[in-house]
Amino acid sequence: MAEKKKGRLTKVLDYLKHDDPFSKGVAFCPGCGLELLLRFIPRVLGNDIVITGTPSCSAPVLLGQNNQSWHTLSYFGTLMTGAAANATGLVRYYRKAGIDNTVVCFNGDGTANDIGFGNLSGAAERNEPFIYICYDNEGYMNTGIQKSGTTPFGATTTTTPYGTVSRGKNLRRMNLGLKMAMNKIPYTATATLSDLDDLARKLLKAKEAKERGFCFLHVFAPCPTGWGADPADTIEICRQAVKTNYFPLWEAENGRIRMTKTVKKPKPVNTYTKLMKKFNHMTEADHVILQDDVDYEYCLLGGLSVLEAECQLPVSVKDQGETS
Amino acid sequence: MNTTTAPKRIKVITGNAAAAIAAKLARPDVVAAYPITPQTEVIEQISTFHASGEMDCELITVEGENSAMNAVMAASLAGGRVFTASSSWGLVFMYDAVLAVAGARAPVVMVNVNRETPGIIAVSSGQQDMISTRDAGWIFLIAEDCQEVLDLVLQAYRLAEDYDIQLPVMVHYDGFFLSYLSEGVDIPEQETVDRFLSVLKDQPKRTVLTPGRKLGVGSHGILGGYMELRHKHVTAMERSKAKFEEIDREFDGIFGRTYGGQVEEYRTDDADMVLVGSGSMCGTIKSVIDDQREKGVRIGLVKIRMYRPFPHQALVAALKGKKAIGVVDRSLAFGFDGGPIYTELKAFETRLDGAQLISFIDGIANTDITKTNVEKMIRMTGDLADGKDVPEVTWVSYPDANTKGEK
Repeated sequence: MAEKKKGRLTKVLDYLKHDDPFSKGVAFCPGCGLELLLRFIPRVLGNDIVITGTPSCSAPVLLGQNNQSWHTLSYFGTLMTGAAANATGLVRYYRKAGIDNTVVCFNGDGTANDIGFGNLSGAAERNEPFIYICYDNEGYMNTGIQKSGTTPFGATTTTTPYGTVSRGKNLRRMNLGLKMAMNKIPYTATATLSDLDDLARKLLKAKEAKERGFCFLHVFAPCPTGWGADPADTIEICRQAVKTNYFPLWEAENGRIRMTKTVKKPKPVNTYTKLMKKFNHMTEADHVILQDDVDYEYCLLGGLSVLEAECQLPVSVKDQGETS
Repeated sequence: MNTTTAPKRIKVITGNAAAAIAAKLARPDVVAAYPITPQTEVIEQISTFHASGEMDCELITVEGENSAMNAVMAASLAGGRVFTASSSWGLVFMYDAVLAVAGARAPVVMVNVNRETPGIIAVSSGQQDMISTRDAGWIFLIAEDCQEVLDLVLQAYRLAEDYDIQLPVMVHYDGFFLSYLSEGVDIPEQETVDRFLSVLKDQPKRTVLTPGRKLGVGSHGILGGYMELRHKHVTAMERSKAKFEEIDREFDGIFGRTYGGQVEEYRTDDADMVLVGSGSMCGTIKSVIDDQREKGVRIGLVKIRMYRPFPHQALVAALKGKKAIGVVDRSLAFGFDGGPIYTELKAFETRLDGAQLISFIDGIANTDITKTNVEKMIRMTGDLADGKDVPEVTWVSYPDANTKGEK
């Protein structure tokens, strides 16, 4: 970055203060959103973070095999069922021993929203001082594209295939970010790879906020392999997800929601869905349902952010700084 | 148990309180736990110690047992001394993490208050939870009374954290019978416990996960790498047998109590017949043995204190050349007729120089293993020694099992 002219630096490069701890060619698919995110986090937060992670697309790269590794970070590879509890154990011991730390509990949506949600919820309740980052690729990609709780309505996966009596997932997606913000934890935010300065700022904000307790980042990370998209379109998919309000960008401090990017004229959701094959089979009527879901979630978010502006919170919540 | 010095600080407390006090005395850095009958009192006591400032640890009141085990695993791998406690369904709910703790060789110490697991209303005693998790790669110790609960938890830290061992240790004691039983317990001074555990500080430091250190934890790799780690685990388990004996001797020197290591032998020297048991039943068995001895019956007891690794060398040494051996199990081994400890001991029958074995199932579902029951077992073992026809397996408190072909 030093070679570039000063005037051409974009804001995001200013955030990249640390080395990329990953080797150049790692075992991710082309266009992997997870890889971009994984390389980005230590470049912003530093290489002295401790990452915990689970069996997932991230595991082969983060774990390595035998005595070989793809990176130089401290890493604890563990079970999907207890990821947030593992991070809890680490930070509690570091606190007891007086060791400065930034623990990043890094998991996919399957761990965060489904099988490991109980301990994520518990860590939020106890306000444990670490950063939980969920990279949401809307399904179980590592095991071969199965649906998860965040898989959107209509999407085909290998467990919600298109067939004579099925039109893909016939359930609405769960809004993980909003669920976590409702726990009134010090910091919750959504982010994606098309808005890297926003992501970098939120990472740093989380690093600061974890001194007061639990932080949760919900990062939209497309999977071209699983979604049937062109690997070159990963960033465009993120961009359109934001522009259609399919994945709005916001943050919440102690549960008080604020939009960090407002889209003046949101595009219809099919400008997003047409970028990948998993929605190919959807009819106009199906799109109405998906659009309704997107609109409803955005309304909810908008309502909550207005509510925050008007509502006087009790002092104890405002100054929430204690950890259990 | 042989007491060589006069106890000074006797208090009448429950087995659960003994476990909690032992945990406090060991000064763990992190405790994580979730309530379950009959273990709850352990974490209530620890919470009280924590609230009053008596216990300077990070206390994590988790939302489920799975998180309890996951939290202490991570804290242990980060370098901390840890403690947790559970029972039956709780142990099962944390089972994936129980396996991972063993795989990671994290020196976690926990107590498991034994309870049955056939369904939710069967809130009753039995060692089925222990049996269901016996091949997890943990060291399993079993306590007979409240004093031994306290002593074993302290010994467990020495064993788990020993540089040559580095394995998790689970201390088992019978739910309901010991968890809620109050009896006199000699509670050692903090300084004495500190002295007992201080040996660990002089050992080389184990590898821990620290911020900024380039280290990956959790992978077993594949093929050769995996097998190397597993083989090291197996050999560490085997090493723990002698280490446990050594710790027991050292414990005796400091606290004035010794139990004999892997197994405790009670009046076995000149015995023709021996009962093999574990846990709280052993008190009753010893008492009946004393009565029978007065009548001239040459009976003794071998109490299993270390159940994993299976102390087959110590058992063979204690049982070799006896005429008949009755093994009392407080649990079932589905697919086998006899109890689990019976079937395991049966594998070493050819080394017992002709000693014959029979299986007794008793004490499950909160049934008391009464003196009458033990007398019956001794009578049947005596019949076996005399060459009479004795059934291989007897459900002592359920005669129907021995007569009917049920469906």
